[in-house]
This record gives sequence, C-alpha cells and structure tokens, in this order.
Amino acid sequence: MISFINVKCTFRKNAGVKKLNFSIDDGEFVFLTGPSGAGKSTLLRLIYMDLFPEKGKVLIRDYDSSSIKDRDIPLLRRKVGMIFQDYQLLKDRDVYQNVALALYASHYKTREIKSRVYSVLNQVGLGHRVHHKPTELSGGEQQRVAIARALVKEPIVLLADEPTGNLDPRVSVELINLLNKINKKGTAVIVATHNYSLIPRVPGARLIQMNEGEVTSIT
Amino acid sequence: MTILWFLFKEGFKGLIRSKYSGVFSIFIITISIMIVGLGYVAARDTLFMVENIKAQFDVDIFIKQTAANDDIASFEKKLAQMEEIEHLGYISPEDAAVKFKKEFGEDIFDILDYNPLPPSFTIRLKPIYRNLISVEAIANILQSDPIVDEVKYRKNFLIILEKYQRIILFSVLGIFVVLTVISIALTSNSIKMTIFARRDIISTMKLIGATDLFVKTPFVIEGTLEGGIGALLASLIIYSFFYLQNTYLQSFFDYRVVVSYRFYIGLIVLGTFMGLVGSRRAVKKFLD
Repeated sequence: MISFINVKCTFRKNAGVKKLNFSIDDGEFVFLTGPSGAGKSTLLRLIYMDLFPEKGKVLIRDYDSSSIKDRDIPLLRRKVGMIFQDYQLLKDRDVYQNVALALYASHYKTREIKSRVYSVLNQVGLGHRVHHKPTELSGGEQQRVAIARALVKEPIVLLADEPTGNLDPRVSVELINLLNKINKKGTAVIVATHNYSLIPRVPGARLIQMNEGEVTSIT
Repeated sequence: MTILWFLFKEGFKGLIRSKYSGVFSIFIITISIMIVGLGYVAARDTLFMVENIKAQFDVDIFIKQTAANDDIASFEKKLAQMEEIEHLGYISPEDAAVKFKKEFGEDIFDILDYNPLPPSFTIRLKPIYRNLISVEAIANILQSDPIVDEVKYRKNFLIILEKYQRIILFSVLGIFVVLTVISIALTSNSIKMTIFARRDIISTMKLIGATDLFVKTPFVIEGTLEGGIGALLASLIIYSFFYLQNTYLQSFFDYRVVVSYRFYIGLIVLGTFMGLVGSRRAVKKFLD
C-alpha cells in the first residue's frame, strides 16, 4: 500500500531522510522510533505529501509522489488520517465542528456528516463531549478528538506523530489501545514515537528504527 | 448546497471572529468609499458648473459694411444649416446702435453723426462643439466667407476653462484610481492579518484534505462582506451629509446636492468589489 523507493528528502540543513526503501501493507501497525532528528516526522510528511522526495518516489496506493498533480493532493489527504502531538484542533469550534470539518472539506451531505460524526465520537468514547470546546477537554480527550477527526474520513492509513508526547503514561496506554482497536478494524496505523514502553502494547506491530535520516532496522 | 451553505456560514462567522482586524478593514473601506463618493459628487458638480459657464459662450461674426442684404440673407441661411450651431441671432447696425446706447449710455449718432457699427451674427454652439479645437475650426470656416469681416470669441477664457476642466477631471480620476488601489492594498493587508491570526485553520484544513478553493472561499466571502458593510456605512454617512446640506445648510452655501439611488448602489458595488479583490489577493499570497 505504501512504498518508499530509494527516497531522499532534505527540507532543511541536516534534517531529512535518505535511501529509504521499504513498504507498509494494508492493515499493518507500524511503530517508527529513533532519536529526535532521525527523520520520523519527515517520513510521515512524505506520506501525506507535505514534502516531496528529491530522489526516488513514494507510492500510496495509486498516488505517486513523482507525478501527482497539485489538485490531487487533497484527494490523497482524504485517505490519510493524521494525528499530532499538539492535536491541531480549532479552539474556537466545538468537538462536533472540529470533526465535521473534515467531512465538509470532502463535500459530504449534512445528514451523512451528522451520523458519521456521532458514530466516530462514540467510537473514541467522546459521545458525551460533542458540544465542548477543545479548551474544556483534557489532553487525552483532545487527542481522541484528533483521532475522531482523522477516522471520520475512513482513511486507509492513520499517521500519528508523537501522539502521546503531551499525555501522561496512563492516558498514553489508553490511546495506544484505541489505535490498536482501530487497526484491528482494518486501518493501517503508523505511529512515530519516542515512547518505547508503548511498543509491547501492540503485539505483532512492526518496528522501524531510524537514525540520522536512515532506516537502521526493521523488525 | 451543503458545501455552499457551509462556506457562506464560515465566511460570515469569520467576520465575527476576526473582531479588530475585521473592524479595521471595514473602517478603511468606509473612509475610502466616502472620499471617492464625495470627490465624485464635487467633481461632477464642478464640471457641471464649468459646462454652464461654457453654455454662455457666444461667437460673434461681424459682417463687412459693404455686404449686400442678399448676401447677408444667404449667409444667414448657410449658418442656419450648420449642424454645429444651436442658436443663431442677427444684429443689424440699428440693433447694434441700440445695444451701444444701452451699454454705454450715449447715442452713436451724437458722437459720430453716422452709424459705424456693422451688422453681425451671434452664434451659440451645441455643447459638444464648445471646446477650443471645434470653436477654432468653425471660426476659420466662417472667417473664410467673403462677406465676413471678423470672427470674435473669448479664446483665452475658453483656454482657461478647458484647463481647469482637465485638471478637475484628471484629479478626480487620479484620486479614484489611487484610493481604489490603496483601499484594495489596505483591505488585503488587513485580511492578511486576519488570516495570519487564523493560520491554524488553514493548515488544519489543508491537512484534512480541503482543496485550496475550500480554504480560500470563506476568507473571500468574509472580505467581500467587509467591503459591502464598509461601503454601506460610507453610503449612509454620505446620505446623511447630503441631507444635512440640503435641509439645513442650503441657504448658507446656495448649493443643493442631487444624487440618485444609482450613486449609492455604485458605491456599495465598488466597496464590495474592493473587499472581494483585496481578500482574494491576500488569501492567494498566503496560500502560495
């Protein structure tokens, strides 16, 4: 489903990735680990085509980074869900509006938006927080909203960049369990993290270790 | 429909959310539209005044004393057929003597024992020919007629009038263009501030798969609304100003402002256009 073929990408001095050659299959759960500056976030950005390789190419199903047109990037991003350490929620909108925004952007009808948003919020355990603003929620709840926003589009892959970076250990475990549950329903999940203690929580997950922009091991 | 309604609502909500920067954009557009509107009316009425002065502008054609009556009659016929002439008047030597007495208080016969005043025609040209080039050309044609002694008109007066007419016209055009450009730039900058303050929305929208058009549209709607509101406010202020002038100050200035509803519609369209162009420019720069 996702293939990195001889990818090199440097977007800042001493930051980026080089010689990436690996694939991720449908429905896989992958942990990306490595120290800061190892290239984990760059790799994720290459998947949702926020960055483009200088050499090689990234393939995501039918989308090819070397030939994709600007107008097709939004279409790709509708198939890729993203979660960030800082949640990236819109603070002036409530939970419902934050999640629904993804569907409005994908031109869904109001009735379908409503049913999908309520369904996904129940799935992440936030059915009772629909009309709260992000500032009224805990960090764990905000990250769940971000997951709901990513999931509501029914993506083929969920990318999480340090999703537990701002959460305490108990909430971090809850979050990984939730991602595992989502993965079991068929969505591929790629989690970039420093938090090695979470890896054993997902039995069977692949581990890709990176350092200085290169993949050092895949297990 | 869902998407259009959503984008319109977003634009409207954006206007409320933008608070100070939105108020600033509206203020800038209000001031600009007020200056453009008042400048337009002032220029229009000044030009109208100049045209009125030009309407009093006559050309005098003096006929040779030796001209026969038949020749004068056929010359009059020729003048009457000229399409450039709006009004034609004949002044016989006797009429000229009466006019002389009226103007100078003395009888020409008492001074000279004879009437030296020649017969003459006074013509008034149609408005489109009341300019130096046309008047000179017509005067030359008339001067070439063998019975014409002299064609006289106030050339310097016409030169000065046309000079001021040009100055007014170009000043108003210049002010209009400069203010429109400044307004668009200021509106665009103030909307850029708004967008910068809400750049998180743009990055989030792009991440969730929104197209550029989807991201842009609410901001453009917001800018267009700001333009429309600014222009509406300016129109209300100008209307109040004219009402005050026509109701309470007319007797002091001896001037009545007459504008139709089309003028106010024009101002609102202009303001809305400024908001639209300004916001499109701002969003485009930000997204690029």
